[in-house]
Amino acid sequence: MSAQPAAVSSTDAGTLPGLGTAAEAAARVPVTAERLERRARHARALAAFLPEGCILATPEALRPYESDGLTALKATPLLVVLPETIEQVQAVLRWARDQGVPVVARGAGTGLSGGALPHEEGILLGLARFDRILELDPARGVARVQPGVRNLAISEAARPHGLYYAPDPSSQIACSIGGNVAENSGGVHCLKYGLTVHNVLALKVVTIDGDLIEIGGEGPDAAGYDLLALLIGSEGMLAITVEVTVKLLPEPPVARLVMAAFGSVEDAGAAVGDVIAAGIVPAGLELMDNPAIRAAEAFAHCGYPLHAAAVLLCELDGAAEEVEAQIERVSAVFEARHATKLHVAASEAERLLLWKGRKSAFPAVGRLAPDYYCIDGTIPRRQLAHVLQRMEQLSAEYELPIANVFHAGDGNLHPLIMFDANAPGELHRTEELGSRILQLCVEVGGTVTGEHGVGVEKINEMCVQFDRDTLEQFHALKAAFDPDGHLNPGKAVPTLARCAEFGAMHVHGGKLPFPELERF
Amino acid sequence: MSAGDVAGGLAERVRTAAASATPLAIAGRGTRRALGHDPTGEALSTLEHAGVINHEPTELVLSARAGTPVATLVETLSAANQMLPFEPPDQGGTLGGVVACALSGPRRPYAGAVRDFVLGTRVIDGRGRILSFGGEVMKNVAGYDVSRVQVGAFGTLGVLLDVSMKVLPMPELEITLRHELAPDAADSSDELVALARRPLPLSAALVIGRERYVRLGGSAVAVEAAARALGGERVTESDAPWRGVRERTHPFFAGDRPLWRLAVPDHAAPIALAGDWLLDWGGAQRWLRSEAPASEVFAAAAAAGGHATRYRGTSASGDPKSVDGPLFQPLDGPIRRLQSRLRDSFDPHRVLNRGRFHPELDER
Repeated sequence: MSAQPAAVSSTDAGTLPGLGTAAEAAARVPVTAERLERRARHARALAAFLPEGCILATPEALRPYESDGLTALKATPLLVVLPETIEQVQAVLRWARDQGVPVVARGAGTGLSGGALPHEEGILLGLARFDRILELDPARGVARVQPGVRNLAISEAARPHGLYYAPDPSSQIACSIGGNVAENSGGVHCLKYGLTVHNVLALKVVTIDGDLIEIGGEGPDAAGYDLLALLIGSEGMLAITVEVTVKLLPEPPVARLVMAAFGSVEDAGAAVGDVIAAGIVPAGLELMDNPAIRAAEAFAHCGYPLHAAAVLLCELDGAAEEVEAQIERVSAVFEARHATKLHVAASEAERLLLWKGRKSAFPAVGRLAPDYYCIDGTIPRRQLAHVLQRMEQLSAEYELPIANVFHAGDGNLHPLIMFDANAPGELHRTEELGSRILQLCVEVGGTVTGEHGVGVEKINEMCVQFDRDTLEQFHALKAAFDPDGHLNPGKAVPTLARCAEFGAMHVHGGKLPFPELERF
Repeated sequence: MSAGDVAGGLAERVRTAAASATPLAIAGRGTRRALGHDPTGEALSTLEHAGVINHEPTELVLSARAGTPVATLVETLSAANQMLPFEPPDQGGTLGGVVACALSGPRRPYAGAVRDFVLGTRVIDGRGRILSFGGEVMKNVAGYDVSRVQVGAFGTLGVLLDVSMKVLPMPELEITLRHELAPDAADSSDELVALARRPLPLSAALVIGRERYVRLGGSAVAVEAAARALGGERVTESDAPWRGVRERTHPFFAGDRPLWRLAVPDHAAPIALAGDWLLDWGGAQRWLRSEAPASEVFAAAAAAGGHATRYRGTSASGDPKSVDGPLFQPLDGPIRRLQSRLRDSFDPHRVLNRGRFHPELDER
């Protein structure tokens, strides 16, 4: 979930220095006669090989596609194209390449980094009509699905066979598997069961040249380079996914939840390390700080202790005897770290209720302030107490409250900054605070995005995380797939010129980075 | 720069080579020469670039330099009761070799492959630039996943310098069970597949002839319960086939007959190629000793939904045989062009291990 400001006008966009060309894009390109003419011309060209109803051109029809889950940023594409077959996708991409028209792909539009923000001069290619589960074979333990199928729909279809699809991002009720592939999505259970890249066996993708390529398969590996690993997480920059084959796992016989409350974040963080050091890999391990606990409890009424500095939710799954043994060991660890409260969910209903609080943390925080902005960074787990302390200082400095939920198992941190977009300058301050938090993540050895992707949102922070040579390599790699840069231009990997503009570069020992680039 | 870090010197050599498009043959301990073609060029030894950089048991992370012997890593991790989850061969090779050749052992289908555990890499590209990708954290989607694509690239996308990996706790208990299969179930993966679809604590499974070996690994309670359910004869660690298969010292690998590796879906039916089979990885990695022509083997592997690789010998040391023709499943069409351009982006002058891996990617 992300910022829900009352309105972002073009003047507001001018106060978002961190967003560069995206701010320009959001500034509503004027609707000139020339632009309308171009729109009509492209629509006619596409109508030669696409059925009517696959091309959207009117302002009303385009509006729902103007942003993804990062609703602070909006842009109107020239057209929205909604193909229904792979052949149509191939034809559209070939046309786009020949015409030099940018293509931005979109699944369910739930992404939080603006990866599906349209390009004002391009087409928005929506894959939502690719919504069929083509094949589900319990004997082979696989499902072959179209990219628009919702993540949860796959597990729902597999459940009657005692199987499920493991990656469970919190938006799973709505997000598409194609989007999951683009972002290499995780979820609460990824500590034990892996990310999208660990659970996808094969892809069919269409390149900008219109070639349909099959990557991977049901075997353990494929000949040549691991293109599957490269494509997963590539944010719509390298190719368009038109089919996904996923691994289905047997549902664990038993799942139990242990909730522990702590008087300090240090104790909770240390307890997390102790669980890992004890050789236990929980199915899920989540931490909430006090502001998050209070918000979640007010929203979901699940019995969270309101005075705890931190709460850990530790899920253990597997065979019944094994889970019982793990509950005992984990409880001992928590007690040794001075847990002020320890509770094992007594029933499946209670387990789901305790999870409900954590899973509704975002909307819960959303009730406490007119707007909130969710940050997504990863840090080494041992740095948690330090990072939370630094964030407390930053929160005071910027006068903006922050609530934290933390995928403690893998170090992925979601600070939620509460603000009021209508208060003058507050959106700008929030963006700046967010950027400083991400830089802090990099400083302590982490990364600027754990699971939401870079998209538009973190493109500047990429300049902090990567040096010039590495960014150049990323661009060279992209050029191998899309030499003219038609697929999702301006996203995910910043140009060097952009990095030179972005003020938050580090200046070490008085030496300016990218010294060869001119500055104005 | 710390002890064991000679990245600067190695990068300088690659820069010099790139300036004249001179090929370099990346060398570790030479234990994998039987896999892949002999690269052209002067040797670029990585052995001095060695040592553990960081081991954080509570973070489940291990970072080390490519020249480090795998045995050293296994020792370091064992001391904290942890392991490399993909169970690589550890008798003599280096970390660089394991990652570059994507060498996973019997645990692979159950815990994951080498690439599933790579968190970050530092490499020298074909221009001699030192580049860092990923990091030491699992949840990291910043930039393209270059670290994972380095795995199994045989050094052709970069000289591996440092690798960060996720590690896992060692299982509390592991036991191996042996069953004898009915004659008509010999050389078939059907039973292995049926086992894999159940929530059992499997950590290895293979079939050789009429013998089925299964390893159970996990908490003692779960393993004992599963062992009771499965029955069969308990086998001691030294009698179990896992080490021999991992290191290619098992009697199956002895002798001079051509050795093939077929990577296919575990449920693929028995493949109609005359020879002896060892079905590893629950049926997904099938070793074959056969005189069948290469074209037949490649065709059969593709028909089964996978690919084949020919080995040029079976021992981890000593000179590999010289073999004509492709050793890797030939790539063609748009996917070959794409992979060739990918190689271009890292190593435009084909400095790194020219000719070693899918030579068809070196053609323009």
